[in-house]
Amino acid sequence: MSEFEFLDRVTIGQYVPGVSPLHRMDPRARLIAALLLLTAITFAPRPAGLGLALLVVMTLVTLTDLPWRFLLRGLLPPLPFLLFLAVLQVFFNAQENQPPLVAWWGVVQIYASDLIVAGMLVLRFCVLILGISLLSLVTSTSEMIYGVDALLKPLRWLRIPTQDLTMMAQVTLRFIPFMALAAERIVKAQASRGVDWSAKGGNLIKRARRILPLLVPLFVSSLGKAERMALAMDARGYGSTRRRTMMMSTRLMWTDTAAVIACAGLAAAIILL
Amino acid sequence: MTSNPPLIEIDNVTFFHSGREAAAEPALRGLSLSIEAGEFVALIGANGSGKTTLARHMNALLLPTQGNVRVVGMDTRERRNWPAIRTAVGMVFQSPEDQLVSTTVEDDTAFAAENAGLPPEEIRRRVDEALRAVEMWEERKRPPHQLSAGQMQRVALAGVLAMRPRCIVFDETTAMLDPAGRRNVMEMMQRLNREGMTIVYITHYMQEALLAGRVVVLNRGQVALDGAPREVFSDPQRLAGLGLELPPLTALAEGLQDFFPGVPVGALTPEELADAVPDPDTIQRARRLPAGAPQPAREAVIEVGNLAYIYMKDTPLAHTALEDVTLTAGRGAVHGLIGATGSGKSTLLQHFNGLLRPQSGSVRVAGCLLNDPNVTVKQMVQVVGLVFQNPEAQFVEQYIGDEIAYGPRPLLEKPALRERVQWAMGLVGLDFEQYKDRLTYSLSGGERRKVALASVLALQPQILVLDEPTAGLDPLSRREVLRHLQDFQRDGMTLVLSSHQMGDLARLTERVTVLHEGRDVRTGTAAEIFSEGQQLHDWGLEAPIAVQVADRLRVRGWPVPREAITTEGLVAAMAGLAAKEAAA
Repeated sequence: MSEFEFLDRVTIGQYVPGVSPLHRMDPRARLIAALLLLTAITFAPRPAGLGLALLVVMTLVTLTDLPWRFLLRGLLPPLPFLLFLAVLQVFFNAQENQPPLVAWWGVVQIYASDLIVAGMLVLRFCVLILGISLLSLVTSTSEMIYGVDALLKPLRWLRIPTQDLTMMAQVTLRFIPFMALAAERIVKAQASRGVDWSAKGGNLIKRARRILPLLVPLFVSSLGKAERMALAMDARGYGSTRRRTMMMSTRLMWTDTAAVIACAGLAAAIILL
Repeated sequence: MTSNPPLIEIDNVTFFHSGREAAAEPALRGLSLSIEAGEFVALIGANGSGKTTLARHMNALLLPTQGNVRVVGMDTRERRNWPAIRTAVGMVFQSPEDQLVSTTVEDDTAFAAENAGLPPEEIRRRVDEALRAVEMWEERKRPPHQLSAGQMQRVALAGVLAMRPRCIVFDETTAMLDPAGRRNVMEMMQRLNREGMTIVYITHYMQEALLAGRVVVLNRGQVALDGAPREVFSDPQRLAGLGLELPPLTALAEGLQDFFPGVPVGALTPEELADAVPDPDTIQRARRLPAGAPQPAREAVIEVGNLAYIYMKDTPLAHTALEDVTLTAGRGAVHGLIGATGSGKSTLLQHFNGLLRPQSGSVRVAGCLLNDPNVTVKQMVQVVGLVFQNPEAQFVEQYIGDEIAYGPRPLLEKPALRERVQWAMGLVGLDFEQYKDRLTYSLSGGERRKVALASVLALQPQILVLDEPTAGLDPLSRREVLRHLQDFQRDGMTLVLSSHQMGDLARLTERVTVLHEGRDVRTGTAAEIFSEGQQLHDWGLEAPIAVQVADRLRVRGWPVPREAITTEGLVAAMAGLAAKEAAA
């Protein structure tokens, strides 16, 4: 693996095309279902609910045929932070301590309830990350835009420019891989002229100094790119009419409705269990 | 019925880029031009002559400071005309990836039609039609960034076609494409024009301008020449004065005319030119092709063995860039690397100074084995200078002197550093006193490329690796950069370069390796590679014009040596053969 490859570390926003039931679900229904489940996972108060959530997400992953290894790799970068948070939870959680007492050193007392709270924290975040990765892996950007646009439509009555907002989101999404690629190119070009990128450590100022010559060209190239992109959009008549339409139009099938209802039920169960 | 107004009418237009009109030089000055429906116009001129500025006046992306532009009779100053004007005149830009807005091919094609507010079914119909027209229907679900540059340009064209315009402006659309992509876009342009579309085409490649019905040459914001290709390319002196050159085919015809008076200078295809040369006599026919000169034996300085490289390895998005590549480059030689976009050229070049490390196989450069992680990039860059594609996009410093000093600064003391910068600037023909304090962003394209070259040369590498060194340059700057590269080789430097410009490679390289889909499919002398004919075509490549003409002449019985792969080489070879014939 090369120290100069950035793109393979950007896993959010990746899309893997496919024909699974999840891929085929109506984008609007898919977004609503995902929102319901993710909200429920965030607020699930008891371990049983989280267990059910894990089961649901695992079932969905199996439905898509995505390789588990790839999904699990997304958990690795945040894992140290999660464990750190979990340790904090063990010592500083606000809930009332319940016996049995598991371990103690003087004033420090660890109850079983502390361990359960810490475990739930780790589990909750892992399931959330898996769920969000799954949504992003089966939803292309255009489906996402279409779904968000459809869901935001009511806001148009309030004269909020929802189409411009979704357009902004779309362009921003396209910019993420571009920035990674541009940074990669600049770092490679600078390394080719003797800048030592592989040197680890050094104090904060030294490290900041190394980043600075990357930022200036990155800024310049991003501005240039934004300008050229705006020009191309202008030339293709963006903003020339108030009523922009969309090519994608889907019809909700009964299966989509059923799936959303099922997800709503599961979400309720996750909270109530 | 009243007489039809011209499709695009540019009337005495002057344009200043900055608001401060007194200070700056105008980009266009009192320029008038009218384009009729159905024309195919090539717009050529040196860098900075105003081609792009003029093109952007044609669909109201820019508005004239003085004068008027009318499109189908509509004044571009009137804001309410803009939607209609931009529907009438579509534009395809130079950089393929910058003009794609959406995340799948068909969404991108729909973009313009969606902006026009058409109903979904109508958009669908137009998108399907446009994608079929550019032969991208099969790829409609793919994300654009997975396409080759040539395919991206076709998607951009499809997006414009879905607007159903009357005229399409191509702004250096082929500058970043490989030969097959270029050929493809040119053919598409010609087909559209036959079907009645008006085409305005900006290019740096004179050979492409030959295909147009009318050539307009700009010089410092004014029309310098305007006429049929035959007229415009009839005066080489005048063209050189405008920073341009003859198309290779025309230059060849000029050269051959001295001893074959029947050769038409206005020939538009290699066949037309070769067929105008009289048949050889029987003695010539009987003569066998001379054997090629033996190549000098060279010590290997770059050795690549069974190299493989996969991007994003171990993810579902992995793609193979190199597969089992083996290559040897000799010390002091120029080694060329050719292949279609995505064939792995850039990936291979990045292995030469350790930016990428072999995932399998081995890379040895100047005695250092790059599989060894202890061999750092920092060490390697003093041996291998790597110049990227569009190197000027990566400038770090504001002033030219600082930019060139950037590499050697940690290695040298002040007076020695100054001397080194001066030396490097001298190598690329930039005057030290005149240029050292100028701003990097104030330079022309050709000057920037030279600064980028000098900034790598300042580390005094023994090997220079270049990725598309002449891409995007006008003819004059291109020739200058090539001349410098030849000088470096004469001074003992080893050069490895990738290029889509077969003509440049024919002039420069001793050996050439062809990459195809990540594999090295052929290595040989430039003459051997360019005589591959159909095979070359299948790899998405193309022989230089001189070789295409020479091939045709050989078929007709002329014993033209295979080594005649440049315009000058072929003219000299034919002069020799003609003299022998006269003597016999």
